[in-house]
Amino acid sequence: MNKVITINLGGTAYQLEEGGYDALRAYLEAAAARLQGNPDRDEILSDIEGAIGEKFRALLASYKTVVAEKEVAAVLAEMGPIEADTGEARTGNAGGPGTSAGASASGTGEKQAAGGAGIPRRLYRIHEGAMIAGVCNGLGAYLNLDPTFVRLAFVLLTIFWGTGLLVYIVMAIVVPEARSPEEKAAASGNPSTAQEFIRRAKEGYYEAMKGFPDRVASREWKRRFKRDVRAHANQWRYNWHSYWAKHASTHPGMGFTLPMLSLLQGAVTIAWMCALISLLSTGAVFGMSLPANVPVWAAALLLFIAYGILAGPLKAARRLCYWNLGRPRWTWSFVFLLDAAVWLTVAAVLFWLAVHFFPELRVAIQSLPAVAHDAADDIRTWWKGR
Amino acid sequence: MSVNEKFSAIRKGLLEFLVLQIVAADKVYVADILKQLSATEFATQEGTLYPLLSKMRREGLLDYEWKESENGPPRKYYTLTAKGREQLRETLEYWGQINGTVKKLGQK
Repeated sequence: MNKVITINLGGTAYQLEEGGYDALRAYLEAAAARLQGNPDRDEILSDIEGAIGEKFRALLASYKTVVAEKEVAAVLAEMGPIEADTGEARTGNAGGPGTSAGASASGTGEKQAAGGAGIPRRLYRIHEGAMIAGVCNGLGAYLNLDPTFVRLAFVLLTIFWGTGLLVYIVMAIVVPEARSPEEKAAASGNPSTAQEFIRRAKEGYYEAMKGFPDRVASREWKRRFKRDVRAHANQWRYNWHSYWAKHASTHPGMGFTLPMLSLLQGAVTIAWMCALISLLSTGAVFGMSLPANVPVWAAALLLFIAYGILAGPLKAARRLCYWNLGRPRWTWSFVFLLDAAVWLTVAAVLFWLAVHFFPELRVAIQSLPAVAHDAADDIRTWWKGR
Repeated sequence: MSVNEKFSAIRKGLLEFLVLQIVAADKVYVADILKQLSATEFATQEGTLYPLLSKMRREGLLDYEWKESENGPPRKYYTLTAKGREQLRETLEYWGQINGTVKKLGQK
């Protein structure tokens, strides 16, 4: 653990490890001494400070807010010693370390006012702390939600609707990854510099993290649990597929059948969802009201069963197609892409037609982002208010 | 003493000439200049370049303007003054002469 010192370079606060601070101070003092008598001394010093600050900024990111001692040394080595130009008459060049260092590299503990304003937010994938490709992580940062909620939403979408996975893959391809510190800052809308660190420290942001009794152990436990679950799921899936493959033969028509099956399954799912929503909101399914002695939960259960009966064989048939078309295991992804491309295209055409011919739908879709934002806000206030 | 060491003083003297040439081509800031020089024998560091630039500005060869950067504080972008342009022209001419002399001398 190292002590951290906050300094001000060219108007921005940086946090340095103590050893790094000493090195920087010595460097700037030497520079000031070498430039003794130079009429532009102050200007050169402030230029140098600005350049050092720029190099520090390139090292920092939203998750890394302190410049390490080694990094300071590397930056100073990159800067090189200050060489007073040859034609200059230098008086008192042995000024010694007594001269004051760069005017604004002022003392310990100086704190910059909270920047607060933030920067425009953009959607990126964030790799740090990601589970797969960082899509949920990035979405969480974008919506200012805990990424766990976003992951949960994707998982639910996949289980009940089958599209979560597809949306995920499309986003993993389309959404850029946050690579540079600037992009990482834009992903969460937070300034990446030390100002943010200070602001969070002021808000007691890090206090909550200390409350966790044994973070390392709990993380290790989580990691192991996840690995076991994954292994089980893979084993189960494998057994299932090989069972099916033994009982079926490959047919060339499968390449065409597969997307149709996917589409059909999607349609069944949408119909089921609509039925469920209408049941829960109006107590009737597609205009047919329930008999008086049947409770709503029983009707919902029946809907679930009906969906299972309809969608189960479709799912099984799709899996069969996958297993037989993608015979060497690695061609699976191609089959998947073909399937996805065809049924997505058909769905997109249908969607376009629907939007084109029903203006109400267009209005509803246009209001979607606002609705999503409101929902995210509600969840956030609920989360904070616990 | 290697050739590299023998020429260190000459390289140092030529640096100003090269900076004039780089600035003449485009508006640049310090990192640009360093980058262009880094691939050559004249690779240098901020510690050398900042004092040199300020000296050249004082002599009226260069001028600079502040420009906003996309990330971080504004930067100084250097441009050549009329005097700097004149100096560059003279230096190029002189450099040509020296080159010719180096090639010609000792040949019969």
